[in-house]
Formats: sequence, structure tokens, C-alpha cells
Amino acid sequence: MRKPYVQRQRADWWLRNPAYRRYMLREATALPLLFYTLLLMSGLYQFTRGEAAFLGWLELLRNPWLLALHGVALAAALFHAVTWIALVPKILVIDTDRLRVSPTVVKRLHQVGAVVCNVGLLLLVLLLVGGGR
Amino acid sequence: MRRSHEPIAWSLFGAGGMLLAFIGPGLVLATALLPWLAAHDPVATHAAVGALLAHPLGKLLVLACVVLPLFHTLHRIYHSLHDLHLRAPRRLMQLLCYGGATLLSGVTAWWLLLI
Repeated sequence: MRKPYVQRQRADWWLRNPAYRRYMLREATALPLLFYTLLLMSGLYQFTRGEAAFLGWLELLRNPWLLALHGVALAAALFHAVTWIALVPKILVIDTDRLRVSPTVVKRLHQVGAVVCNVGLLLLVLLLVGGGR
Repeated sequence: MRRSHEPIAWSLFGAGGMLLAFIGPGLVLATALLPWLAAHDPVATHAAVGALLAHPLGKLLVLACVVLPLFHTLHRIYHSLHDLHLRAPRRLMQLLCYGGATLLSGVTAWWLLLI
């Protein structure tokens, strides 16, 4: 009969080592980002209910708790972006006879792309929504 | 051997992670500022969002911005709860996380089709 050996591990295993704590912090970015996605969904739902409901949702975004959620979600999104792109060259390995791109270049290109996309999106919203001022 | 759902879950997790890295911070900052940006003419903001959601490509974009982060975050939460030694039946946790992400995705698609 199969009798696998199960290595014992304490539930607080990740607290002792700084690298494990960073790992858990990275995984924890999912929580505020999930709540933020639910907030986006609520905005979409209010939009389906008509203009007044959507304008109510816009006003709701001034709520200090939701601003705090935005702050935490922004920190989480930034930490996620940095750690995610740091891992890209480990997964996206371009090393063939015809094409070889060093991991550093893969990472740099993703970093540049992410900065351009994030700043571009923000500018687009600033222009389209705040541009009339 | 039973086939694993992991490749599907991981693909959606990967796509969501890439999307969040490339537009996550910008999107969060944009919606944080939105009430103040829209303050001078909220009705025009409603119209701008309406124009985005009226276009099929706009719908697809918004769908991606909701669905992929849902699968990304719930995949991470599913594995993190395991890492934290939360003792719960695996099937139940899968149903809650991946089932929840699927359900919320369906609801989002439905709302987008209503517009």
C-alpha cells in the first residue's frame, strides 16, 4: 500500500524568512486587487441601471473607505507589476538557434512596455474625462 | 488518470497577471481620481463610458479587465489559503474560487450584453 511521507510544516513557516514573507506579500496583493475588481463590477452594474445610478456610483468613489481601498490596491498593483515582470524572463525563455534574447533584455522590454501602457491609460482617461476643463 | 484543470486555471492566471502588470496601476489611479476628474461635467463622463461600452471592442476590453483579474486573484487566493494551512476540502475550495470567478465573469458578460 502507498504510504507517502508527509513533511511536517508549521502554519507560520513563511514568517521566519524574509524571502518567504516577500512571497506571501506578493500573493497577498491578490486580495485588494480582487476587491478592486468587484468595485469595477459594481460600477458596471450601476451603469446598466441608468445615468442617475452611475452618477451615484461616481460620488460613492469619494468615500474615504473606497479611497483607502484604491490606495491599497494601487500599492498592490505596483508591487504585483514589479514582481510579475521580474519573473517573466524565467518563464519566457527565448533561446533558439535562430533567435536568442537575454533574460535581462526580456525583463527590460516588459518593464518599458508596462510603464508605457500604464502611463498611456492614465493619460487617456485624464484626456477623455478631465480634458473638457 | 483524471485530467487536471490546472492548465486552464494557470492560463487565465497568467493572462490576468500580465494584464494587471501592464494596466493595473494606471487603471486603479484613474478610477481613484475619477470623481474629481468628472466633477465639472459628470453627465459627459457617463456619456464617455457609454460610448466605450456601446462598442463591441469596448465591451471586450472591459470584459477582459474584469474576468482576467478575477481568475488571477482567485487562483492566487486558492493557493495562498493552502500555503497558510487552511484545512478545507479541496473540491469545496475549487468550487468557491474557480466557480466564483466563473459565476462573476458570467454576470459581468450579462451586464455588458444588456448595455
